[in-house]
Amino acid sequence: MTSVSPLPGTPQPPSSTPAINPSTFQFPPIHAFPPFYTLQPNPTTRSSQLSSWSSLIQAYCRHNHLFSLTLADALSTPLFSNTTISRKLSLRDAKAIVQWMTTAEGGSRAEWIGASGKGGKGGTDGEGSGRCWVYWRRPEEWAGALEEWVERTGQKGTVLTLYEIVESDATRREEFWGMDAELLTKSLQICVKRGKAQVFGGEGSEGVKFF
Amino acid sequence: MFLHQLDLTTALRPSLLPEETLLFVQDAVGLYEGKFKIPQYQNGQAYLTSHRACYVDHDEPRQNSVAIFLRDVERSEFYAGFLKSSPKITLYPKPVKRLSLAPPVATSNTPTTPERRGSPVPASTPPLSATWVCPICSFSNPVPSNFDPATANARTPLPPCLACGIKPPLVHVVKAAISAMSNRQAPALPPKDDRNGLPGPSSGIGGRSISSGSNSLTCPRCTFQNHPSLTICEMCGGPLAPPADKRLEVAQELGRAESPGPSLSTPLKDETIECIKLSFRGGGEKIFYERLKNALVQRKWLLQSAPPIPKPRPASGNFDDGYSTTAAPSVDPERNKVVGIAGLERRGLEQRKNNEAVIGGAFEDLEALMTSAKEIIALAEQFAGQANLGTNGNPEASALASQSASALGLVTTKDMLGSGSGSESLYVSELSRNLAEWLTDDTRGVLRREGGIMTLVDLWAVFNRARGGVELVSPADFEKAARLWDKLKLPVRLRQFKSGLLVVQGRDRTDEKTIASLLAWLKEQHNEPPTVKVLWGWQEYGKGVTAQETAEHFGWSVGVATEELEMAEEAGALCREQGLDGVRFWENWLLKLPFEASTG
Repeated sequence: MTSVSPLPGTPQPPSSTPAINPSTFQFPPIHAFPPFYTLQPNPTTRSSQLSSWSSLIQAYCRHNHLFSLTLADALSTPLFSNTTISRKLSLRDAKAIVQWMTTAEGGSRAEWIGASGKGGKGGTDGEGSGRCWVYWRRPEEWAGALEEWVERTGQKGTVLTLYEIVESDATRREEFWGMDAELLTKSLQICVKRGKAQVFGGEGSEGVKFF
Repeated sequence: MFLHQLDLTTALRPSLLPEETLLFVQDAVGLYEGKFKIPQYQNGQAYLTSHRACYVDHDEPRQNSVAIFLRDVERSEFYAGFLKSSPKITLYPKPVKRLSLAPPVATSNTPTTPERRGSPVPASTPPLSATWVCPICSFSNPVPSNFDPATANARTPLPPCLACGIKPPLVHVVKAAISAMSNRQAPALPPKDDRNGLPGPSSGIGGRSISSGSNSLTCPRCTFQNHPSLTICEMCGGPLAPPADKRLEVAQELGRAESPGPSLSTPLKDETIECIKLSFRGGGEKIFYERLKNALVQRKWLLQSAPPIPKPRPASGNFDDGYSTTAAPSVDPERNKVVGIAGLERRGLEQRKNNEAVIGGAFEDLEALMTSAKEIIALAEQFAGQANLGTNGNPEASALASQSASALGLVTTKDMLGSGSGSESLYVSELSRNLAEWLTDDTRGVLRREGGIMTLVDLWAVFNRARGGVELVSPADFEKAARLWDKLKLPVRLRQFKSGLLVVQGRDRTDEKTIASLLAWLKEQHNEPPTVKVLWGWQEYGKGVTAQETAEHFGWSVGVATEELEMAEEAGALCREQGLDGVRFWENWLLKLPFEASTG
């Protein structure tokens, strides 16, 4: 519990970027290319465009430490609208992009919130809500990161509260700091499945023990 | 040389000589020499023109195509066919002419055009010994030396018969002059001596030929044996073939046997040709023969290089060429004196009088129409020009329409084609060739003016317009014809865009070239600052273009521009931006500039 291990040498390129330039996100040049805001009909171009968008959204969310997006609100953010060239993405296109990110082709880098566990049909419900997880790290990867953190800080066998993991000062420099409880639970469930952790406790006061 | 090499157009039809007109086309025709089939000349199309009968092979049109000049044809025979034997038309060459007419240079590689070959004869030199036989008293009168059948008309003064004093009809004299002329063209080609490098008449060859010719000339009309130095028969006054020519013929034959040039392209030996038969396996022989006979009677080739006819103008005492109304006043000092409206009116009056005389004279008699055909054609073209001035169409279209008179001569019409099962497909394929020719004709530049590409609908409209309102082509036939271009290997192609739009373009114009030109144009935009202020980095991305701008820049129609842009998009060279002002197309930086994930 007491162990605070900054480990500055740890290779963590995504988290090092905000340290250098904490306030502004450096948009890639493509962000200033007007046709970027129109979904292309040509399949080749379209898939290239979609993957560019996917990368951009992930990088943007990682930079700003966002774990989910509400598309309706996000459309006016610099991510989806470039005021310099006065171009913005339409809600329909943004949904199409996120939808593509949820597919295997898009690398499952997003998931509609409210669609979990209900399969394809639920996907449309989740899409309707316009809220989605952006998996700049997928739950499996988060599980790995958590395990690695526990390992690194020597907290194996210790009982940790979920609040402790995502809110305490001890984890402030970790990527998962500030993570939504729901996403954290998802990730921990994967650890449980792998047999690396055990979750116990009631609703609102869950604890987790890694072994 | 009875069979000539045939020049083909890009569309693999015979390229017509000036003033030559197409009379008939029939497919499934084979050639016979005497009784034997000529190998490789067994399946082709026969084109009958006013000057020639042409055979264009179906499989190897560039190699196995021949033309027979009708002026070399002595007579023709018709054979109706029997059981399995197809109907045939036999063409017999003129024995004297085929030896004397063709200079050896023309028989080798150079394409033979009649200007080079025949023009000196009919143009200006009236035959010295032409005679006409008086229909009243049968006396053989000489045709006046200044009489030119190509230019003669009803007002040409004719001398009366020397015996009975009755004036002969014009047609009679014209016929006499023409037949005399076509029988005696040899003296008009003196350079033969030099080309063959013949020594003088005392050489061995010359001597031999004269001695073998029994030293006398038989008159073809009365069979009197004349002295070889005479050119006119002593008995009847008829023309004699001069002995000098006979000698040259022999020498020429010897010379040609050695040269390998002329006979390479054809397995035939010219000297051995007795007659050429056209075998009509797909029908059409009757019409062909009918029109062949007419063509042989009309002898249009005699008119081919007749100069414009100067004619006396009683009103002003001056000459007008009858072709242009504008050129005359500037060169005519007398007419300049009458100025203003009075002058214009007077000129108009004179012009009308002249036209009246020409038309009146021409239509008096169909035979006379033949002789004044040139004037009438000129007049018709002039009328067509005037008719166009009245319409308010755009200048290009009216320019096209005014060419219609000449275009008419080039087009194949349905009545030129033989009947039978294949006539529909033959019509379509001929139309297809016609179209291709018309499109690739540089003087018209139809495609070039449209930026190298035009929609089929536009082409249909322009083409029918050029036909001048006669023999219009139905859209169905037109499309069928256009679809045949690929099959006939013609230099234009029909292309269907994704949307179903049909366009016409040159065969050499590929998608790659179009994309390259589009990209080059977009690249230019990187260098010049945009006219209106733009918000993105134009040095980096250039600017987007609309279909409208593209159409303006390349001279395409907007529909074509849209299709071309979408084609380039399809190929991945361009990408689109859907904006409030429509779709703009950009260089495809989406593919060229993939997002680098690690740089964030």
